[in-house]
Amino acid sequence: MREWLIQSSSSKVKIARQEKSLKEGKVSWTVTILLVLFAILFIVGPLYITVVIALKEPSDMINVMALPKKIIWKNFFDAWRMTDYPRKFLNTLFITIGNLGFTLITNSLAAYAITRNRERSKFFNMLYFYFLSAMFIPFNVLMLPLVKQAYAFGIDNIVGITFLYIIFGLPMNTFLYSGYIKSIPIELEEASTIDGATPFQIYTQVIFPLLKPISGTVAILSFMWTWNDFLMPLIILSKPNQQTLQLSQYVFQGQFSVQYNLAFASYLLVLLPILVLYILFQKWIVAGIVSGAVKQ
Amino acid sequence: MKKTKRMIAMLIASSVASAALVGCSTPKTVDSGASGAAQSGKEATGKKEVVLELFSSKSENGEILKQLIARFEAENPGVKIEFIAPQDAGTVLKTRLAKNDIPDIVAMGGDATYKELQGAGMLEDLGNEPFMANVQEAYLEMVYRLNKDQEKAAYGIPYAANACGVLYNVDMFKEVGLEVPTTWDEFLDVIRKLEAAGKQPFELTFKDSWTGLPMWNAMAADLQPENFTNDRREGKTTFVDTHQEIAEKYLEVLKHAQPDFMGTTYADGNKNFAEGKAAMMLNGNWAIGEFKKVNPSFNVDLFAFPASNDTNKNYVISGVDVLFGVSSATKAKEEAKAFVAFMMQPEIAQEYVNNQFAFSAIKGAEQNDPTVAGIKADVANGKVANFPDHYYPSGFDLAALLSEFGLNVSIGKDEKESIAELLKQCDEKYNTANVN
Amino acid sequence: MNEKRGISIAYYLMTVPMAILFFIFHTFPFLQGVFYSFTDWKGYGAWNFVALRNYLHIFKDKDVITAYLFTFKFAFFATLLVNVFSLLLACGLNAKIKFKNSLKAVYFLPYMLGTLIIGFVFNFIFANVIPFWGQSLGIKALSINILGTKSAWYGILFVTVWQSLAFNTLIYLSGLQTVDKDVYEAADLDGAAGLKRFFAITFPLIAPFFTINAVLCVKGFLMAFDQIMAMTNGGPGMSTTTISVLIYKRGFQGAQFAYQSANAVILFLVVVSISLVQLKVLEKREANLK
Repeated sequence: MREWLIQSSSSKVKIARQEKSLKEGKVSWTVTILLVLFAILFIVGPLYITVVIALKEPSDMINVMALPKKIIWKNFFDAWRMTDYPRKFLNTLFITIGNLGFTLITNSLAAYAITRNRERSKFFNMLYFYFLSAMFIPFNVLMLPLVKQAYAFGIDNIVGITFLYIIFGLPMNTFLYSGYIKSIPIELEEASTIDGATPFQIYTQVIFPLLKPISGTVAILSFMWTWNDFLMPLIILSKPNQQTLQLSQYVFQGQFSVQYNLAFASYLLVLLPILVLYILFQKWIVAGIVSGAVKQ
Repeated sequence: MKKTKRMIAMLIASSVASAALVGCSTPKTVDSGASGAAQSGKEATGKKEVVLELFSSKSENGEILKQLIARFEAENPGVKIEFIAPQDAGTVLKTRLAKNDIPDIVAMGGDATYKELQGAGMLEDLGNEPFMANVQEAYLEMVYRLNKDQEKAAYGIPYAANACGVLYNVDMFKEVGLEVPTTWDEFLDVIRKLEAAGKQPFELTFKDSWTGLPMWNAMAADLQPENFTNDRREGKTTFVDTHQEIAEKYLEVLKHAQPDFMGTTYADGNKNFAEGKAAMMLNGNWAIGEFKKVNPSFNVDLFAFPASNDTNKNYVISGVDVLFGVSSATKAKEEAKAFVAFMMQPEIAQEYVNNQFAFSAIKGAEQNDPTVAGIKADVANGKVANFPDHYYPSGFDLAALLSEFGLNVSIGKDEKESIAELLKQCDEKYNTANVN
Repeated sequence: MNEKRGISIAYYLMTVPMAILFFIFHTFPFLQGVFYSFTDWKGYGAWNFVALRNYLHIFKDKDVITAYLFTFKFAFFATLLVNVFSLLLACGLNAKIKFKNSLKAVYFLPYMLGTLIIGFVFNFIFANVIPFWGQSLGIKALSINILGTKSAWYGILFVTVWQSLAFNTLIYLSGLQTVDKDVYEAADLDGAAGLKRFFAITFPLIAPFFTINAVLCVKGFLMAFDQIMAMTNGGPGMSTTTISVLIYKRGFQGAQFAYQSANAVILFLVVVSISLVQLKVLEKREANLK
């Protein structure tokens, strides 16, 4: 389980040349058409169904695929009120943002110390493998003891769960950061050390800025994880006013029953913030998610 | 360095800001007009209020409980009740047990989860409360039997009872000219006549596998040998030896269900039934409220499942659907008891059973709705049996076996083979689960 | 280098607090879980030590064996399909096409959506949309809810692949972008084209990416949970019950916490050993290819 980080031999110059030669080639219309068709059928299709159902009234459901005869915005207001959307949204936002900020700082710091000292210290090398092996532990084994633990420490609330996410993200993030840090030439740090900088100063002034691409990757992965997770909130958060958006969808599933229009409106309300973010930062996200993990 | 500091400051600021937002926004769980009024009345008083948590394990009674809570809150300024009814109530309650953090008040069925909660010593004995005088003895006995060592102490106060049997579309029965069947042969005749008239006899909803259980319970209560529960536990008897007839009759019903009964969910099935797409559904009174949501004028009634040709054996299956319990660790015992006392008033109980089409365990509240008139006499005369599956070991997943049985029938597997396999599996899995 | 110099205390400050917290909230609960697998703990209250009883019982429990077989089958096919399709998709998106960025964005979208809600939406599509078409077109196989048939697992497989494609495609895509055009030009001179070119040249070059994808896929799919809970709850019968679902259903909804903890410990061992074997085999093959 060594080098996850893949460094190709090709340099930026070569990429540029590759792009240039691609531009010179002919547009492959067969491939384009196939890709567009599949995108419409498999990705736009299900989303279309979701939106259309959310906008319909129950009597208009005979042909599900047809456009709504009358657009019922009320579905959204009802779902909003029924699931207490604003509160659940703020809860989720708090957890997501809190986790994001602290994960980027603490996890990169830990990964930095581990990576730079693995080769000369058994202790740090052990820590590295300790975190990595934790990636393979099924959540099921520790679920119930974790609940007890969380309660004993008084962290069975939204602040606490944020804290748990930061801790639980460590294995994956150590692994991502570590691969990236290894590729940063150590000479930079050595020069600073001679100038009398402390490891913390080196980290903040030299390393952290260099970690931008991988931090982007970690940020997106952490964000998606906390926003979409429901099992951890299910077992940790017991008070209804602390529920997250995903959890509230699960909780309300029984009450929606066959009110599909209401249920789908509610799903859309949960998907909407993500969709908006995605549309706004689409280019950055698609590029960012692998830019750190896969160096070019 | 500066940059990072600024970033950290920003992050902290933003999380604090959103924390503040979370903290400030008032909970807007105004689901009915009534609770809105209660809220505004309360905000004026600056006194510190007592907040209790009420945990319900049913999703069907959420609306009515919330309305009644609002009324209680209006009558008792200074007490606020937070209501929760999570989807996966058993799991959630279990995590709460692990934490020793039991909700102040629980409203749950008289089932395995109650057994665990009571057995773990989490509930308060309410036997000396004045409202006990309102509770019907028969139902209290049922709860006693669930207690550890069958102790006669009121850890759970029975509130409402359910009934399970055959739900039927009254108008469709009239249209085809059918009488309510009281024996198995008459039942088969009804099925034949319905099919001859081009009607779908049964709407089954096996996509949600628990819905296979009410029907099994209805048949097993009528047909299983007298001491089966104890004998099976001690290994003196087997399903293979005793449940052949039950499995055959179960299969007979499956053969007359709609083609996609394996893929139909409880929610969709209720809707189809309420829209008149089938004549009968094998479930309980708890589904009636769901039908009425789809079709308020739906004319539906219940009859006891006629599994036997001996009418004396055809019981209505009834158990404690809702009982109230107060946590022994609650900090506001008086308020919690006050809420239970409030619920125990006959007028309130009446309102509850009217809304839920349930039977009341409270004296002075009676179920008079025509939708369950068919079994009212049986319930009143005590011709009821408890759910047989409540006595199976809790790791024994009968619902999954019945679902597999349904699957085999739906793909036309040999009937004898399917039955033999089901019964064999029942014994095997029962033995596996009987260990813990 | 610097072998002799001591390690600054600052490095310990960076890691040790996190490691301690990690131990308290992750490792300790895990060890507790392992410990309880040797008891008859129900999740609360008193317990007794039962030694290996739970473990011995597992090998006699048909449900556990069925669940393992299904989990392996599911993980195998999901990994295979995800890798084949994401590689195809990546090749397509890497070709000279129109609307490249928009298409990339659309294909990546499923990754952003939560599994739970995707499960609910597809549940509806399988139950109410596809049968509606099937019936109006008179296709018998499509006229019922696939999730209520013996083929239910195809439905789950479809949704799993649908959602997992996005991330894997992106990894392959970045892999393909690192392949130097000069290599192709050289290959063209040798007369290699089409599929042959792909297997002879492209694939070896992106093999490391295949390793990542395959290992992460297998690990993830062996623990498949969310999508199954949202779509079939393990049914019909036990036909779509993976090990994770079984552990959850029996351990939390049923009263077999200790017993299912033993099962989870075994799952942990299985996942680790499969991943290690995979890494060894794949790395070796990679080296040979190069």
